[in-house]
This record gives sequence, C-alpha cells and structure tokens, in this order.
Amino acid sequence: MCAIFANKHEYNQMRPLTDKRSLSTLYFAGKYRIMDFPLSSIVNAGINNVYTLINQEKVRSYFDHLGGGKEWGLDTIGSYDYIDFYQSMMQQKARGENYFDDVINFLETANLPYTVFMGNKMIGNFDLQSVLHFHQENNNKVTAVFKRVKSDNVAPDDQIFILDNDNTVLACQETIDSQKLENYNLALNIFVVNTAWLISELKKAQRSGSSTDIAKRLSELSAKYRINAYEYTGYLRNIHDIKSYYDANMDMLNKKDRDSLLYGNQRIITRIRNEVGAYFSTDSEVKNSMFATGSRISGKTINSVVSRRVVIESGSEVKNSIIMSNSQIEKGSHVEYAIIDKNAVIEKNVTVKGTKEHPAIVTKGSVIDEDLIVK
Amino acid sequence: MSTKMLGLILAGGKGTRLGKLTQNQAKPAVPFGGRYRIIDFTLSNCANSGVRNIGIITQYQPLLLNKHIGNGASWGLDGLDASATILQPYTDNAGSKWFKGTAHAIYQNIDYIDSQNPDYVLILSGDHIYKMDYEAMLEAHIKNKASLTVAVIDVSKKEASRFGIMNTDVSGRIIEFEEKPARPKSNHASMGIYIFSWKRLREVLTTAFSTTDDMLDFGKNVIPYYLKSDERVFSYRFSGYWKDVGTIGSLWAANMEFLDGGDGLNLYDRSWRIFSKNPIAPPQFVTENARVNNSMIVDGCYVDGEVDHSILSTNVDVQRGSKIVNSVIMPGVKIGKNVSIKYAIVGENAKIGDNAVIEGNKDKIEVIGNSEEIGVLPDEN
Repeated sequence: MCAIFANKHEYNQMRPLTDKRSLSTLYFAGKYRIMDFPLSSIVNAGINNVYTLINQEKVRSYFDHLGGGKEWGLDTIGSYDYIDFYQSMMQQKARGENYFDDVINFLETANLPYTVFMGNKMIGNFDLQSVLHFHQENNNKVTAVFKRVKSDNVAPDDQIFILDNDNTVLACQETIDSQKLENYNLALNIFVVNTAWLISELKKAQRSGSSTDIAKRLSELSAKYRINAYEYTGYLRNIHDIKSYYDANMDMLNKKDRDSLLYGNQRIITRIRNEVGAYFSTDSEVKNSMFATGSRISGKTINSVVSRRVVIESGSEVKNSIIMSNSQIEKGSHVEYAIIDKNAVIEKNVTVKGTKEHPAIVTKGSVIDEDLIVK
Repeated sequence: MSTKMLGLILAGGKGTRLGKLTQNQAKPAVPFGGRYRIIDFTLSNCANSGVRNIGIITQYQPLLLNKHIGNGASWGLDGLDASATILQPYTDNAGSKWFKGTAHAIYQNIDYIDSQNPDYVLILSGDHIYKMDYEAMLEAHIKNKASLTVAVIDVSKKEASRFGIMNTDVSGRIIEFEEKPARPKSNHASMGIYIFSWKRLREVLTTAFSTTDDMLDFGKNVIPYYLKSDERVFSYRFSGYWKDVGTIGSLWAANMEFLDGGDGLNLYDRSWRIFSKNPIAPPQFVTENARVNNSMIVDGCYVDGEVDHSILSTNVDVQRGSKIVNSVIMPGVKIGKNVSIKYAIVGENAKIGDNAVIEGNKDKIEVIGNSEEIGVLPDEN
C-alpha cells in the first residue's frame, strides 16, 4: 500500500489557534501534533510511500515537525515521502492544466496495488491493514471508513453516508439535514482503493474538470458503486472548532479514551525532543492530569493537559485547561477552562478563566498581565 | 579524509560494584536520571563539543549498549562527516584480541583509528555523569604544545587516595603521577579523560606491543612512561560537577543530586542538551488518587499511588496505594498495589507484586535486579 495524506482541512472556527500554524500541526495531548495520528496509522500499516499534501501558507510548522520523516521511518531506503502543496492543484486547475498529474505520477512510481487516502483532522488510532483486508474480502474498488457519531462530532463540510443494514453506501451528503438524527454515519476521510482504478478515476476527473477534492470524489464514488463501508469503532474526535479541540484533549484524562487512543497496539509516533523528565516540586499538587517532559510543576494542576517545557509556579492553579509548550504560569495566577498557546506567559496573580463551552484562549507568545475572563 | 580529534569511549567495563544492575548489561548502559543512560552524558558532551567521530569500545555484555547507541543518530552522529562506530574485540591471524587494559583496547583498534586518521585522540570513559567541553581542552592541549593532556578535578584530601593524583608545576605541566597514593601531595585527581597527539601515542603503543606487553593501561603504564620519557604532559583543570557512579550508593546519590538540582548540571540549559535514544511512549499520567512530591517523572509513566523524592523512568506503572520514597525506579518497572519502596533502586523491567515491601536505608540502598520479580504477580492476560 502507498498513501495520500491530505492536510487540507482548516477551519475558521479553530482560530486563533491556527493563525500561525495549520490544524495538522496543532498540539494534542501534550506531546503530539494532530497530524501524528493519521501519519502514525499510515506508517504502522507498514506504508513507507507517502504523498503528503500540505498548506502552502503554513509550511514552516510542517517542516519543523516532520523534518525528513526520520521518526516515522520515512527516511530509509525504499521509502518515498513526497510533499506538495494542495493549493497547487487548484492553481493548475485554474490555469486549465492537468491538476492530478503529480498525484498520478506518485501512484505510478510507488507502483503498489493499493492506496490509502487519509485526511488530517480525525483523531483516532486506525488499523489500516484491517481496512485493507476488508477491502480485499469484499472485492471493493474503494472502501470508505465511517463511524456512527453524534451531531457534535460532525463539521459543516463533512460527508455523511446513508447506509443500508449491511453498511452498503446508498448515498452521501454534505450537510446534516434539518431533522435531527440520533446518529450520523460520518465519513472519516479514510479510503482504501485499488491503485489502478484510482489512477483511471483521477484521469477521468481531471478530463471533466471535477473538483480537486479527492476525498469528496471518493465518497461520491463509494455511493455510486454501492460499496460496503468499513465501520471504525475506536476512539474518534473530529477536530473542527475550539470546542471539539478542547473536548478531545479533555478526553485524554478519561482512562477509556486514553487507553483506546494512546495505549493501543499501534504506537503514536511524534517528533523526538530531548527533554529532561518533568519535575514535580514539594509544593505541587497534581490530580488527574497529563504531562509531557521538560516541565517544572510547583503549583496546583487539576484535570489538565500540560505540554513540554511548561513552568507552573508555586501558588498558582491550573484547572480544566490545556497548556501548550514552553508557557509559563507565574506565582499566584489562576487558569481555568483555558487554552494557553505556546510560549505564553500568565503573569503573577492574574486570572484567565473561560467556561466549559467557551474556553478562554491565550494566543501564542502573548503575555497576560491583567485578568481575562470569558463568560 | 582526516579527523582533527577522534573520540574513543572506553565502555567495556563490567561495573562489578553495581551488582545486580550490571549482571546482564554494561555499566555505561545503566539508566540514569529518568530518561538517560550513563553513557549519554559522555556522548552528548562529544556531540556538543564538536567531536563528531566517535569509536565506542565495548566488551562486557554489549547487547543493550550497542542497541542504545545504534548508528549514533540520537546524538546527531549520523550526518555528513560524523560517525559512531561500535568497536568490539575480534580475532585475526595473530589470535584473539580481548582487551586486557585501557591502552591495550586502544592498541587493538589501531586499524580503526588509522582509518579515521586523526591528529588527536580523546580518550573517555563511558561511566561518569558530567558536562564538559572537550574542544576547550583541545585548545589548551594545542596551546601547551602538549603530547598528552590529562583532565583533572580537585577532590578533597580524604578522597584523593582513591584516585590517580597529578602533581603539577605552576604552568600546569605534570611532573609526577601517583596512583592511589596513601599520602597525596596534591588533590588534582585524574578524571580518566586524556587527549593524546595520535602520532606519538601510536609510536609508543606499537613499539611497546611489538616487544613486550607492558603498556596495557593508561594510568599504570602509559602516563608513567610519558613522564619518564620527558614528554610534554599537561593537566587541564575541570571545575564542574563530575560524578563516578560506580557503586550502588553513588548511583543512588547521583540520582538524588540530579533530582534536587544540587549537581549544578542544569539539564534545562538547551545550549548543552543531553541527548538520548528516545523510546516511543505516550505522555505521563497522574491520576486523581496520586500524590507526587519533589519527584521527576517521564514519558509513559502511570501514577495512581504516592511518589515522594523519587525518580520514575520511562514506562513505569505505579498502582493505587503504593508508596515510593527516596528511590530510583528504572524503565519498564511495574509496581502493584499497596507496595512500599524506600531507599531503593529498582532495576529495569522488574515486576513488584501487590503488598511487597522493599525498604533500604540511607547507608544501605536496597537493589532489585533487572527483570526481577518480587511477590505475587497478577496473571498475564
């Protein structure tokens, strides 16, 4: 199998967290970035030919994290990690050029019978080998992966499948209709396809000037050919706004979710940083929280997710919050229902407080010297 | 191709005094400070000092050590004009080449050193905890037009009789060397770190080994020979933290100093980072029931019990009701419920069953060996 890894989803509702980075490279569960989850699923399936589409406006954060792909084993002989901008497809299309030629060229060079397509915003631990087996057993041209979710796990631009009792895709639609359903069959933007068939479909699509959105095309084709879809039953969060991002991090404080995502058979791989262990001082009081290395904790930290090299000084209190790397919570400050982005400083005796529905957000590198209360 | 200064790390020692902890692995591979192994300090010093070609001489139980070092990528030694080469004893037409001493180990690897064609060789041992800039030491060596430079550290008069002591003149030139003297004349102890001008050392070793076998050891043979032959032998004063972790007591004490920050190593200094091979592990989790005080915890740990003034290394599991005080828990250790561990070092991958009591005291640290199983363990499902 080879892979097309499309880091295409960006949401205005994620701002300001994605002002200076793409959704894919946003921190998750302390030491990870969101893209670690799909990418780990790809390499854990033994795939080492990856065509990665990234956002040309946020290049730096990708390269900073991905580097040469060493941690994911994508820098060895026989591996092939090709990076392109997804905008270039649209530009080529606008100029009337063959916008899928680069992808087709990759698929032909990789020369493998199956291809997996993956998007960037679904947090889960996906066993792509088992999707491949399902794909082969059902003799499908394309196999779509879906999960039954509640409406809060659906974004406005997601594809929803209409399925019969055997999980055959009857139709796909973009928006949740007005009648509220208990469950939605959310397309996870994960597809296993026969490579030769995919190449012919891509050629057909660019001849007729169809959309550059490969995931959408594959959803439509799944319905057209009435294929059997593969149901994913593990942990899932569809990151599309601040609330879903916050909730997903808080999920990691829950044993069942944490075990399903992080302690499964498949390891989640991330960039290696050489940090010293996290230090908890005599003053510290820590409950139900997750930490990455290099942090120094002297204050109270409850129900929170703390990234690398964070300093929480004594007499301060952090509750129900996400603290990204290298931020500093000074003496006597109070942080509750908040997302503190990287390199931020919460000065002495300052309160940053949001609500469960609307967490307070402190942007990257900012220094907060007066109370910030979101009601 | 030539290398200015080649690093050679002597990592073949057994570390007998570490008992159970080195039963199945070499001393330099013993875990330290939660997420390191002892040799990481020397390797990182090399990487940070711009010593980018390193031979690591191993002999005793090298499997884990070799795996840890790999191709040196963790220390950035896999790039252009950089290399980490594991050197193990081998046989040839002249017979087997087991290393009989520190200098002999260098002599046996002369082909490797020649292939690197260095101007200088930096001899290091892989079992000390310290941060040191070897480039500054080389500058001193060159400035003194020295043939040999020995790094020295001032120790207390009481301790001096445990070390090789260097007596120097005002310029820092070594005029006399005494191995473990009963009445030391100075307190300049050799750190076992040497820079030799390779051309001369090569001559001395090849001449000696072509006739007799009396140049086996740097301390016992080579340094006295250099002094006797009036070579320019200089000392290089080092004044930072330097700890030999050769005994259970000193290994425990060094870990505690590391935890308390009293060692002055400042591991938060990102300009001189200590690198290590990082396992893939999830973030650490501290539960509702846990109490953690004055402790260091690293990736992959799960803490549901109480941890006080202790270090938990990668992937350590502490179940509810257990209490760990003044102890060092090495990677992969699983600790059941209601266990009490005080003043102890628990070796890698050991399993401690429910209700076990492992208690030493300040003067006698309790040790659980690597993969040792204590008490009743739950069935593996």
